[in-house]
Order: sequence, then structure tokens, then C-alpha cells
Amino acid sequence: MAATTGASPLISMHSRPSHFFQHGLATLRVSGLKPVSLSYYGRSSLSFRMRPLPVRLQVSCAAKPETVEKVCNIVKKQLALPDDSTVTGESKFAALGADSLDTVEIVMGLEEEFGISVEEESAQSIATVQDAADLIEKLIEKK
Amino acid sequence: MEKGVHRWVVDISKWDPSPNDFCSALSLLPQHQRSFVKRFVRMEDRKQALVSRLLQYALVHEVLGIPFDEITINRTLEGKPYLENDNAGLEFPNFNFNVSHHGDYVAIASEPLCLVGLDIVSYDIPPKETVLEFIQNFSSYFSSLEWDNIVNTGSCDGILAEFYRYWCLKEAYVKAIGSGLAYGLDKVEFHHTKWTNISVEIYGEDRREWRFWLFELGKGHWASIARGHPRSATESYRKTLKGSEFNLEEYHKGLNLPNVDFVSRTVEELISVLHGEAYNIPGDERNA
Repeated sequence: MAATTGASPLISMHSRPSHFFQHGLATLRVSGLKPVSLSYYGRSSLSFRMRPLPVRLQVSCAAKPETVEKVCNIVKKQLALPDDSTVTGESKFAALGADSLDTVEIVMGLEEEFGISVEEESAQSIATVQDAADLIEKLIEKK
Repeated sequence: MEKGVHRWVVDISKWDPSPNDFCSALSLLPQHQRSFVKRFVRMEDRKQALVSRLLQYALVHEVLGIPFDEITINRTLEGKPYLENDNAGLEFPNFNFNVSHHGDYVAIASEPLCLVGLDIVSYDIPPKETVLEFIQNFSSYFSSLEWDNIVNTGSCDGILAEFYRYWCLKEAYVKAIGSGLAYGLDKVEFHHTKWTNISVEIYGEDRREWRFWLFELGKGHWASIARGHPRSATESYRKTLKGSEFNLEEYHKGLNLPNVDFVSRTVEELISVLHGEAYNIPGDERNA
């Protein structure tokens, strides 16, 4: 399960069921298009967006191996994968079998571990462990 | 229209295929589906993915009568499966389905007009956290009313069970509309009387065009069904639907169809169906 270091109950986080990890992201990356991601509540205040998204979040700045490894460990722990199982930067979250509850806990685990807050928009483009690590480093840099 | 309402569930703990059996079941599916199943790392996930697909193809074949090799099932960008065939299901105004899997169960639900969403949860005790620590991770998904209901349940067991039930319903809603992620699930508030007469308020508005049910599947698993108006579907899913505009009368016909119980099917049955063999299930009206 996710790291339990006295998580602050006030960590704010956007709703994120597993779907974008399990399905949307892999295909998102192929098509390069941002999906219409917000639920249709019939309210004009929520906007629908379709615009091209770079296939990789960052082309030039790949995360440090240590970050990737930390992400792998958090994921392995959450999904109760054996220590010797192959989880690498290339691993797709979807293919590792994360369900909606796992996904929320993984993201929270990452936020806690790295002291960051992951925005919904950025979270959408994460398909692999590497993507998560890249995003984490970008967010750390910004702090 | 009742003939379009189906709920099938498979207990995959009862299926223990040899690698050969698994491959041969997999080979019943079109190539793109096979690749999708194979990319899962854990065998349990592959099993669930395979059975989920067998259910989809078998359901479409049995209910719509489309020859198996003419069935095309794709997924939206958000990952919701849908039937591609243009001329399919002419007897139904808007045939659509949804699948879910968790733990021992994989299930499918279909509707002839309304959107359908399905989710399965199982009562899993968090291994390394207390119940309160565990559920706290998800507090932002619940309205304050729901959260109060959860935490004011008498015991830790009770709290965890309430949490899973609410979560299951929220997931069914998200999956019905085909959303890849749901913004503001804390504004999707469920009301119920001991988990019957379940209704939803979205941004404080009572949304009577939605119906919800919660079932106990056994072995500590629950399944939820959401039934809603096709115009609530996200754009990418709405495009796959045959129709999304219905007048009030038509819509209410669909909304008020009986909600049937889950029918148990076995993997062997599904494989027979896809091999084109008739399979008689005792007590099943379809074969009467």
C-alpha cells in the first residue's frame, strides 16, 4: 500500500479513477491528442479541450535513474509486486494492473515521497514509470 | 427492449487454465485484442483481461446475433469499449455495454437504450494501513454528506464496507459516461435507503434520469450498475452511440426497464458460444 508517513488529511487532490492509467494514456500517447477528459455534467463552466499534446512530456530532460527507481518501488509496493519483478521506466501503469484505488494511492504516494502536488492535467499524460519520474522532477524543479 | 438488458458474471477463481488452454482461448479473439491481453504483466490481470473480452464478444454475438468474425469492438481514447458495427442491434435504439473486473469476478452489463456503467469492488482489508488511514487517501472524492455517512458507521468493518459501496457507485457513474477521469466526484453525491432506491445529486441537482443498483456478488464482492441518459456521455463515447437524443417517453421506457439479476456464466460456456456451439443453461429463459 502507499507510504504511510502520517499523510496530511488536507492533501488536495483531483479525482482520478484508474481509467486514465489503464486505458487512456497509452492510446493518448499514440494519437498525440488530449482526450475530452472532463465529465459531461451539462454545465458550460467545464470546458472541453482537444488540442495536440507533445507525445512525450519532455524530450530532452529524462529523469535521474534514482527518481525512476523510487517510482518503481512505490508502484511495486502499491501493487504488491514481488521485489524481483521487472518494473522499469518503460513499464506502463496500465499493464501492471493498477486499478482505480491503486492509482489514487500511487499518485498520493508519489506526492508524499517527493513533496509535490500533481495536477490533473499533467497526470493525464503519464503512461509509463518514466513519464511519472520526468513529471516529478519537473515539479521539483519548479518548487 | 428487455432483451437488451443483460448482466453476466464469471467467477474466474474457478478457471485455472493451462498455458495451452489460455492460448487457445486467446486465439478466439481478434489480433488487436490478443495484443492487449498479452501486455499485462501479471497472469491474474491477463486472465481478467481475456475473460472480459470473451464476455464482450459472446454477449454481442448472443444478444445481437452478429456472426463472431463480423464483430468489431474498439475502445475510446478514455478506454471504454464499444461496438463498431453500423448496422448492429437494429432492434435496440442504442445498444451499449460496460465491463468490469476485480478479484474473483469479471462481469458485463448491457442496455438497449440507456447508458450503462458497471463496477465491481471487493472488500479488501488494507494490508499496511488502518481503515481510517486508508480511506483518508480518497476523501476528496466524497461529498461531506457521504464522508460523514462513511466515518459514522459503527465499526471499522462497517466504515470500510460503506467506503467501498460508495466508491463502487461512483465508478459505475464514471464508467457509464465513458470518462477517462472524473473531475469533481465530490459533487456527485449518492443518496440511498440502506443501499436501495439509490439516486444521485450532481452539483446539488437531483438527477432523476439516473438509476443505480448495488448487488452483492458473494465472497465479499459488490457490483454496481448505473443507468443514465445517453446525452450524459462524454463526447468521445457519445460519438460511438447510435442515438443520444430521445424524447421523454422513449427515455423513460429505457430507464424503467427491469434491472435483471446477474447470471453466472463459466469461461467454458463463453468459449462454446464463440465456437458457435449452442449452450443450454438450465433455467435460462433465452434457451427455453
